[in-house]
Amino acid sequence: MVEPAFGPYLFDTSAFSWLERSTDPAVRHWLATYLRRHPMHVSAITVMERIRGYALLLQRAAPGQRAHFALKRQAYLNSLGKVWPVDATAAVVAAELSALLPQPPSPPKRAHRMVEVRQERLFRWRCDILIAATALAAEIPLIHHNPQDFETIRMAIETSPGRFPSLGPLNLVSVLRLTGM
Amino acid sequence: MSPKRRTTLTLPVEALSEAERIARARKVNLSVVIAEVIEEGLRARSAAKAEGERRVQAFEAYCRAVSDLTEDEMLLLNGIIMEPADE
Repeated sequence: MVEPAFGPYLFDTSAFSWLERSTDPAVRHWLATYLRRHPMHVSAITVMERIRGYALLLQRAAPGQRAHFALKRQAYLNSLGKVWPVDATAAVVAAELSALLPQPPSPPKRAHRMVEVRQERLFRWRCDILIAATALAAEIPLIHHNPQDFETIRMAIETSPGRFPSLGPLNLVSVLRLTGM
Repeated sequence: MSPKRRTTLTLPVEALSEAERIARARKVNLSVVIAEVIEEGLRARSAAKAEGERRVQAFEAYCRAVSDLTEDEMLLLNGIIMEPADE
């Protein structure tokens, strides 16, 4: 179990997405306890990813559905707490990581007869790198639901400490461990 | 002004010394400074509690807002853009 009081934590896009859909009472209780003590900390990159998602939904929506999605978008913005910018330290860390790990560790997602567009997979990977770099620069644990990508980043930081002087380790917490599931 | 009541407090030496210094500088009684600090602390605590509740309500409202999205819409929302696979 992750103690809510020991926050703040930075919530990755995948963790945010998992939390917003979870109906588990223990998870809802953990989150409410956390939010009573700390704002929801996210990277500006997570905000960009999510607002881009809404922009795409709005573009594809029938005219009668647009107001419906616009309300959800506004509810998202209302739920934001502390948004961390990509500062100079985070940018340098992200640049080093991008050079060390140019390709994503996992393949594009597949579902039924569909596959994720390859350049979109690369875009998501670079967003993950920027989010991890933000957590590392801010020295706060990163809560995620994407172990394959973030463990790869954590290992790269651990095995190349010379590239990340006086930073690290990257403290990762799986969203599945929040309530000790 | 609310009614006052006499009491005895045991305070950390450093905090008490600082409160005495402020009282001397402002030419007021030590009780005035201590009362102001307590009231400010209580107000801040109450405001933090209200802000915490606002955050919970805002997140719950958002969870309700996205609860009716389809899996395909959630993929798009999460930046996962799909195309037909080449078989």
